[in-house]
Amino acid sequence: MRYEIRVDGHLSEALTRVFPELDHVVMSGQTVLFGYVVDEAHLYGLLARCQSLGLRVLEMRQLPE
Amino acid sequence: MAGLEESDTDPTASYADPQGDPFLRTRFVVPARPVTFLRRERLVSHLDQALHTPLTMVNGAAGAGKTLLVADWAAARDRPVAWLTTDAAEQGPGMLWAYLLQALRAAGTTLPAEIGCPADASRVPPNLLARLAAELSARDRPAIVVLDEYDRVIDPEVADQLEFVLHHAGDGLRLILVTRTEPLLPLHRYRAAGDLTEIRGAELAFTAEEAAELLDLHGLRLPAHATRGLVERTGGWAAGLRLCALAAREKPDPETYLKEFEADRSTVADFLLAEVLSRQPPETQDVLLRVSVLDRFRPELVNALTERTDAGPILAGLHRQNAFVEHLGQDWYRLHPLFGEILRAHLRMRSPGLEPELHRRAAHWLRGSGSLTETLGQGAAAGDWEFTAGALIDDFAIGWLFTGLRSEELAELFSRMGPEAAGPATDLVRAARDLSRRDLDRGLRHLRDAERGLAGELGPTAGPDAVADAALTAEWDTAGEEPGLVAARLSCALLETLAGRLTGAPGRAERAAAAAETLCDRAPAHLLERHPELTALLLAHLGSARLWAGHFDEACAALSQVAESSAGAATAHAREDSLARLALIDYLDGWLGRAERKARAAVTATERYGLPQPSGSGMGRLVLAAVAVDRDDLGRARALLAEAAGADPALADPVMEAGRAIATARLHLARGDTRAALEAAERAVPATVASPWATGQTALVVSAVHLAEGRPQTAVEVLAEVSDEQSACAVGAARAQLAAGRPEAALDLLDGVRSEGRAGPAVTVRALLVRAQAADGAGDTATSRRLVAQALREARRDGLRRPFLEAGPWIRPFLDAMAPRVRAADRVTSGAPASAPPLPIVEELSGRERDVLSRLALTMSTEEIAADLFVSVNTVKTHLKSVYRKLAVNRRSDAVRRARELKLL
Repeated sequence: MRYEIRVDGHLSEALTRVFPELDHVVMSGQTVLFGYVVDEAHLYGLLARCQSLGLRVLEMRQLPE
Repeated sequence: MAGLEESDTDPTASYADPQGDPFLRTRFVVPARPVTFLRRERLVSHLDQALHTPLTMVNGAAGAGKTLLVADWAAARDRPVAWLTTDAAEQGPGMLWAYLLQALRAAGTTLPAEIGCPADASRVPPNLLARLAAELSARDRPAIVVLDEYDRVIDPEVADQLEFVLHHAGDGLRLILVTRTEPLLPLHRYRAAGDLTEIRGAELAFTAEEAAELLDLHGLRLPAHATRGLVERTGGWAAGLRLCALAAREKPDPETYLKEFEADRSTVADFLLAEVLSRQPPETQDVLLRVSVLDRFRPELVNALTERTDAGPILAGLHRQNAFVEHLGQDWYRLHPLFGEILRAHLRMRSPGLEPELHRRAAHWLRGSGSLTETLGQGAAAGDWEFTAGALIDDFAIGWLFTGLRSEELAELFSRMGPEAAGPATDLVRAARDLSRRDLDRGLRHLRDAERGLAGELGPTAGPDAVADAALTAEWDTAGEEPGLVAARLSCALLETLAGRLTGAPGRAERAAAAAETLCDRAPAHLLERHPELTALLLAHLGSARLWAGHFDEACAALSQVAESSAGAATAHAREDSLARLALIDYLDGWLGRAERKARAAVTATERYGLPQPSGSGMGRLVLAAVAVDRDDLGRARALLAEAAGADPALADPVMEAGRAIATARLHLARGDTRAALEAAERAVPATVASPWATGQTALVVSAVHLAEGRPQTAVEVLAEVSDEQSACAVGAARAQLAAGRPEAALDLLDGVRSEGRAGPAVTVRALLVRAQAADGAGDTATSRRLVAQALREARRDGLRRPFLEAGPWIRPFLDAMAPRVRAADRVTSGAPASAPPLPIVEELSGRERDVLSRLALTMSTEEIAADLFVSVNTVKTHLKSVYRKLAVNRRSDAVRRARELKLL
């Protein structure tokens, strides 16, 4: 399943490396991380990673295949 | 047995470290507040509510200031608060509760030893929580417990357990959870009842005034509008504000700098961290990046990572600045959890591929001077399996793979080890893992590989058959032997002993144990002391192997040593295992009462330490079942056998299998199902050598079947093949001879049974009855009557009934005639409890059973009793069952009536 996670602010190069499995794009003061998510466990893991980095998650949604 | 009971309640039991590994004391320390900490009265006064509600939750994002708020509040209490920082590495409830109990004790809360202690990482003894809650509820002032970083606890069972303790501890417990995520407790219920104090992210956010004060503490004065802008940009986030202050105060014009920051659109932590990091000298940056692979660290360890010597002053400086590191006390530090993750990302970017090397260096340093668990974790993270397995073996910690709180964690850790890792240590670890899962084929193969490797390292290679001997006993006289080899060889000896036990090869176990004894003399004493489980497992395996060989005295010597060893979670498995096997020996010798007491102690030990239920207690239950058959309590025997059938095959060895066959066959025999009895008795137990008693007991059952089906001659022949060393078999043979019409041969056999020695009532009573029957057949009624009366007297104490029931119709007139005089006779044959006045109950009721009984008399329901006594419903049911059994009744009303008759109520 494909997901995108929209977080507040521009992510630095170093920080995007924390999500090596996702692509990212920076736009209008936000960063969108997107890509394949293996399963629910992975999804919650991504959320936890955002939290431990102090990122504010604005939106999270499943993308059409 | 007195010694056994005493050791069971050894007060040091629960203080003893659950795993031989020291408790990480830093986890009980209330974190220190940095000099720049700002106390905010509005939060403090809200937190004061925590004293009045059972549950308090402080939740908010990383870096929101949760921990420092609670730490500051806790430090201001007039008595110590139990503080526990949870650990990501410990997943199971068992470990959490072990630490929680220790945290309570560290805070000066005295807890009685009866509360117990988990011995298995993933389980908590069923009664531990109830006992803890009851203990807390009885206190005048509540215990305050803080669980910091509760979000790391992901096991939903822990939430249920906390909920249970909170509920039953009543006003005796104030629990404060500090967490990033909403815990799985039913918060709405607490909220509705006004039982919850809640401080959430929004409340933790800094107001503009508070932010100004905080910046002031950092030596930064800003105009009000600038501070407001900063609060807006950071959302009042404590960590963000602090980083701002650190980044800005270095600037010639902080105000302009902060304006730029406001305008910048990077994520706050990311931006600020990169800023503050780049402001540090290169050495400091290097330290910060490298320590990001560690959970906690001290200067020497950091020096090992940086290969410099300046970590001490750098860490002290960073702590003073309150930039990244927190001080845990005793020279230990950790990174602020928020920054660890970001720093690790920077490390990966700047020095790709350095991470495994850092883990490896940390592992090597820790091996020399840190805890073994941390060493293993870092070694595994580095993927250096030879090192990791070597560290475990060299520490004499191989027993950890079989028993104790960390066995599952270690099994998981080593499951990542690939087949390419080579060397005796890795083979030993593989063999131990396989043997602990009773994968005999693979385990023995790995063990053989390890032995070959060890023999190779020791010098001249031996022939393929002598590999084990070469590895274990070669070159004893060489001085200056490498200590590592002693550890590896001792580990190897332990596995060899276990292999001997599991394959029913007593000779193999004896040889290995003898080698182990010599090796133990060469091993550093302090390491052996740290690992009591090693010796305990060794002796338990040796004892079991000796038991299989039928060397009961030698088996008892080894097993008693374990059973009487001091209590503690590390050896709980081995003690319980040994107790159950001692019980079997008593049963085989015919001492039912002793067998029952030991078997019960074994089953109880299992419960106390929350060992996986079906561990060795399978053996204990089998013995209890066999005892129940001899007492003609067939329903109970059947229930016990069913429970034991669910036992983990992980502890099945030939002794257990033979025990199961005997108990099952005897039950079928007692129920008159001869075909099922034969089937059970003759089921093959795979073993290298045959066991004399297992063979003897099988023959006894087969012979009894032939007798029951009217073939006395065949019954005689079956037993003729068995050694007459065993009294039970000789008595059985005598009975068969008598039935075959040869009373002289029968009496000869009985005369051959040594009167002194080990035979207990279950054997001697049967012998008396054969004599009585012989006398009866010879027309000597007076002698017969005297012998039956003597048999009844000897049977009474152990509640032995089966021999009278299986004796045959000739005994009936004697028992009937004696009924008026010997009350016990009546009971023996009618099915009432086998005991005589004035001691109408076989066994005293325990205090708890009396509690339950008295509530039963008040017609309380099981659930009400459970709530009233702060125990689980299942516990009450267990007590009820033993009350019924001890009073020999089947219903509550009968129990109450009988208890009144006996003046127990």
